[in-house]
Amino acid sequence: MTTTKTPVSFRPRELVVAEDGTGHLVGSRCPTCGAHYFPTREVCAGCLTEDLETVPLPRRGTLYTYTVVHQSTPAFETPYVLGYVDLEAPVRVMGQIDVDPEEVAIGMALELKIVPWGTDDEGRTVWGYRFGGVS
Amino acid sequence: MTDVYVIGIGMTQFGKHPDRTAASLGAEAVRKAIHDAGIDPRVIQTGYAGHVFQPMVTGQQVLAQVGLAGIPLANVENACSSGATAIRGSYLDILAGVADVSLAFGTEHLTGAFKGAFTPGEDDPEAAVGATMPAVYAMRARRYMEEFGLTREQLARISVKNKRNAALNPLAHFKKDITIDDVLAARPIAEPFGLLDCSPVSDGAAAVVLASGDWVKRHGDPARAVRLAASALRTGEVETAPGSMTFEVLTHKTARDAYEAAGVGPEDVDFAEVHDCFTIAEILRIEGLGLFEQGTYPHAVERGEADIGGRFPVNPSGGLLGKGHPLAATGVAQVVELTKQLRGEAEDRQIEGARVGIAHCRGGKAAGVEGAACTVQILVR
Repeated sequence: MTTTKTPVSFRPRELVVAEDGTGHLVGSRCPTCGAHYFPTREVCAGCLTEDLETVPLPRRGTLYTYTVVHQSTPAFETPYVLGYVDLEAPVRVMGQIDVDPEEVAIGMALELKIVPWGTDDEGRTVWGYRFGGVS
Repeated sequence: MTDVYVIGIGMTQFGKHPDRTAASLGAEAVRKAIHDAGIDPRVIQTGYAGHVFQPMVTGQQVLAQVGLAGIPLANVENACSSGATAIRGSYLDILAGVADVSLAFGTEHLTGAFKGAFTPGEDDPEAAVGATMPAVYAMRARRYMEEFGLTREQLARISVKNKRNAALNPLAHFKKDITIDDVLAARPIAEPFGLLDCSPVSDGAAAVVLASGDWVKRHGDPARAVRLAASALRTGEVETAPGSMTFEVLTHKTARDAYEAAGVGPEDVDFAEVHDCFTIAEILRIEGLGLFEQGTYPHAVERGEADIGGRFPVNPSGGLLGKGHPLAATGVAQVVELTKQLRGEAEDRQIEGARVGIAHCRGGKAAGVEGAACTVQILVR
């Protein structure tokens, strides 16, 4: 049971949101070879180490590639920009990109933003993430 | 070790079949394959049934309709590689000596199960932020444009070529030639893709009967049997660091397994049927298979080299873009086309002098994994 003060994350295993509205993505780090994974893994694919650490992922990265989605599932309003962001770990994470479709470009610097994602059954705001331009 | 041969092929019309089910489509394809093989169905000893979004035990429903109930059969799900994985089941049964004759089919009634853009599995973290399959491939296209100067028109040409081939295939979903302008003017799906860069939602089924070399010698028609020289399967590896999205390591490794098993190299292959679920996909597959150097295939298409009659025809059946893409039927339909071409029975689509053909399927998506399942099959005349 969550307390009323803790913000609700849309996927708590992948995104932690703090009371002050900041947050981070959750990944795994291999203590043996240093590889990072998103989403979390139980075993390192590189060296088969089993006790991976659960770590906050860096908030900043660069845009590897992107698209503007015009047709999606009913859960998403279109159009939206979707991209793969290479975070500094390095690890690649997909997310929506809060940048005008005319301005978005491969290689641009981006950072994680915690954004309202919807409401749950009890009417509370559910928080998700996007990547936006570095301020 | 015995050789494995394709002795019978069958395929339904691909397209929209509002009044049919996966089981009835599957039964039609299986009956056609049995008739094509000219066998008593009771010589078939094992079976594998590929399907993705269909009711459980669809394979057994098909067997019940074709007089084959009773034989060991497994239903196979490997996303878009399901049908090709079913063929591999039959191939391995024959190599292992478990069966002399085995049946593999794929069937999908997709219009009854799905509309619009496919997404990865519902619980996938990428689906949760808005990933669709067109979007994932569109991002690969965008990156390829950045790295290799691929143009929008070059992408469009792949759809034009495959729909032109499909217009020559009586069983294809699409039967009309289109122009580059048609592709560019189509409704946007995920930039740079419009609707005509995407394979359609299709219903259909395809089936093959495989037999051992000994069986073909004793009972078969060696003039029509085509050797299945390799049936390779791999799964995508977890990336330990961000990798390239413009070169398919998974396709490359699966192809390496297949070339090794078949004792041929990419230079020996005469034509290909590859998994062109989107226009960019044909480029990535062909280059991943080692058939063209990375960055060069779009130019080869522009020069007509991938046309029927060109230096290296790709997707003479029309591919997924033209023939249609009833997920699990796709991998089997590719082997049906290879067999027709190698027998010299491809009519208006016939590639002259073809001796070695390759088929490639790739299906599924999971976050952090390059791709889910990949198959490469090589047929030799």
